[in-house]
Amino acid sequence: MSTAAVELRGISKRFDAVVANDGIDLVLARGTVHAVMGENGAGKSTLMSILFGLVRPDSGEIIVEGEARSFSSPLDAIAAGLGMVHQHFRLFDSMTVAENVVFGAEPTRGGRIDRAAAAARVLDLAERYGLDTDPQARVGDLSAGARQRVEILKALHRDARILILDEPTAVLTPSEVTSLFTVVRRAAEAGTTVVLVTHKIQEVLDVSSEVTVLRDGRVSGRFVTAETTSAELVRAMTGREVEIVANPGTGSLGDTVLEVEGVSVAEARVERVSNVSLSVRRGEIVGIAGVSGNGQHDLVAAILGTTAVSAGRIRLGGDDVTGAPVAARRAAGLAVIPEDRRGEGSAVTMSITENLSLGHHRQPPIGRPNGFGRGWMSLAGARRRASEQISSYDIRTSGEKQPVGSLSGGNAQKVVIARELSFEAPLLIAEQPTQGVDVGAIEAIHGRLLDYRASGRGILLVSHEISELLALADRVLVMFAGEIVAEFDRTQASAERIGAAMAGAAAAAGEEWTA
Amino acid sequence: MIARLTRHPAVVPIGAVVLAILIGAVIILLAGLNPIDAYAAVLQGSLDPRNLDYTFAVWGFICGMGLVAAIPLRMGEFNLGGNGQLVLGGITAYVVASQLGLPGIVAVPLALIAAMIVSGGFAAVSAPLATRFGIPIIISTLLLSPVAVAVASYLVRFPLAEKGSGNAQTPVLPEDAHIWSLGDLRYTSVGLLLIIAVMVIFYVVDSRSAVGFELRVTGANRRFGEYAGLKPGRLALGAMGSAGAVAGLVGAIIVLSSPYRFIDGALISPGYTFAGLAAALLAGGRPALVPVTAILFTILQVGGASMERTAEVPRQLSDVLQGVVIVILALRVVLDARRAGAGKDS
Repeated sequence: MSTAAVELRGISKRFDAVVANDGIDLVLARGTVHAVMGENGAGKSTLMSILFGLVRPDSGEIIVEGEARSFSSPLDAIAAGLGMVHQHFRLFDSMTVAENVVFGAEPTRGGRIDRAAAAARVLDLAERYGLDTDPQARVGDLSAGARQRVEILKALHRDARILILDEPTAVLTPSEVTSLFTVVRRAAEAGTTVVLVTHKIQEVLDVSSEVTVLRDGRVSGRFVTAETTSAELVRAMTGREVEIVANPGTGSLGDTVLEVEGVSVAEARVERVSNVSLSVRRGEIVGIAGVSGNGQHDLVAAILGTTAVSAGRIRLGGDDVTGAPVAARRAAGLAVIPEDRRGEGSAVTMSITENLSLGHHRQPPIGRPNGFGRGWMSLAGARRRASEQISSYDIRTSGEKQPVGSLSGGNAQKVVIARELSFEAPLLIAEQPTQGVDVGAIEAIHGRLLDYRASGRGILLVSHEISELLALADRVLVMFAGEIVAEFDRTQASAERIGAAMAGAAAAAGEEWTA
Repeated sequence: MIARLTRHPAVVPIGAVVLAILIGAVIILLAGLNPIDAYAAVLQGSLDPRNLDYTFAVWGFICGMGLVAAIPLRMGEFNLGGNGQLVLGGITAYVVASQLGLPGIVAVPLALIAAMIVSGGFAAVSAPLATRFGIPIIISTLLLSPVAVAVASYLVRFPLAEKGSGNAQTPVLPEDAHIWSLGDLRYTSVGLLLIIAVMVIFYVVDSRSAVGFELRVTGANRRFGEYAGLKPGRLALGAMGSAGAVAGLVGAIIVLSSPYRFIDGALISPGYTFAGLAAALLAGGRPALVPVTAILFTILQVGGASMERTAEVPRQLSDVLQGVVIVILALRVVLDARRAGAGKDS
């Protein structure tokens, strides 16, 4: 038996014209934490889906503990000793922790589920790996961090010897991240091989012992973590050095373009946003920090008008738009880069031209504004406008007719950004503007946002990345559980203070990981 | 390479048709008959030069009812109420053409326009039902359709019935109110030209107009449309109104054509509505493809009768093939959704 827990040899997979994996070799040594990093679209998710039997490779070998395997479903992978914690949890909200953990491999007594044995099993595993959990709690009542612990327990219950964690920190507060890493280290010491899929360099340096970097579907670097630096990892991810855009600081402030006054949003009687007030002026970038799911998106939806407010008022450039439809708000001077690119920000089956045209299709050069041609579009005008934006935003595509769904995540994001910035609205809401974008393009997008501010417009920037907020925002508001719990001026803001505010209330509520 | 070929958008629809024909052949074989004879009879019956007049007329009606399904399909809505809209248009056209005593040059256009307005208005009701009360358009159209059919049936049996006739039918329209024929063709009339004109208008509006673009965006991703400020409720009102108007037009043309009267059940029983729906689905709602896919269902429809005569295969086989095509296309929707899920790399 070799020392490798898993060996992938020459894995290739293509989706239509997109080569997701191109001859990838990956060796995971037993009992180590191995980071697989790369930008979105680099092929990490595809590679992990192949390893876990969700996707079949076009070619290549999967060798688990010395034995060649061919997985036709995740059940085969689980049987071979693999476990995966997905970015989006796959749990039954209405059932208890214990029921979720043992699902699919239940301890039975006389043909019935042995609940006592299940609970005991969960407690035993939890203690062994330092995962604090209550087996009788309903999963629907748990925080994101606690649900993730349930996912990990589920894998451990099935005797996973190789544990794949896909972007595990995306939904966690900083203190939850620290505790997760304690669990990861403990699991590795106990002989479990952990694969950490991430694009965050700091995490890789903190917890992994080896790193494989992917770029454009190929391995672009293999490192022993202790012998590498963040600069080296960034170079492997992007192929070049990256400069961090420095926040050039505030210019002169102009009129108020957005005023939110005591706004609350309730959905199915649960208050998502509670009594939030904020304002954005011309020449200013106001940041909203917070762990995903603390009401930021509901606040944005309320300002855009896709969600109704239950209390409060919203003014755009002085006009009260509280009950107004989306079209009226956009006409009053609003553009939005939404968080959910595929679901809300684009039509993936439609062409780049069509995606770039929406909202601009009644104005020149696409729409014919007056007289006889009113209501008709110039397809040539739309194409010309699209090809200009493709070159000015450096959208990598085979042509303006290509469907947005077949672009890489970063290029699809550029389509959204190009469309929204070109409204030249007095207020831009940018929600996670650089998610899924490669490090090189992040620079370009940050530069665009700073130019937008410099042109005398206002931006409300919602981000999970503290570094992004520090690089761009003049003020940072922190949201937790639907409320604004802290506000920092540019001069007072620091990663530690923002992070503490993002997590502070979570710790108080006793949701912290305890190792 | 093969993978790329199998992903071509035309593969599934063409495959569906081929598979349907093969399944039909198996059914005919199991019945102890000869499938080649049967299919030859279908082609012969529909493409025989002596029948072409009738074939073209049927193609026009299926194209028309294809649009009735295709227009809402552009924004992702299913209009299953074609029958009710068709019948309502037919009865309206009959009333206007027969009861107002107008000269033909006024009566015929007025009858067509009135039919379009009444059917359009009737179909449009489904839009506010969806926006205000959350009743899906696919449901309300399906459930409202028999109501319209029943109302028309009542009218033709009682107030408008031909006296002394045992059939549920109206008297024949005055000669003046017959739709203008093309030369001495018996079935094909100016109505076919109107339907072709409507198809051209749909194509141009779909590809060149702001509203057509907004419909397609809404069909591709409704949330994207709402986020950009489009109003799906208003678009649905327009799409359903236009679809209903086209159905009304088809109904009016049928009633104003030979045998120039409204006969209870005569608009529904040929199955134009569901042949049109199948053609629209097979075309994926694309305006330029509807007339092409309609050819297939026209051949099945018209040739079915001669297949029954010469090969002794019941004409219901046409409906079976139509059904198989729809099932395969529905399967594609499911498989596409799965593929999209697997191929996602976020």
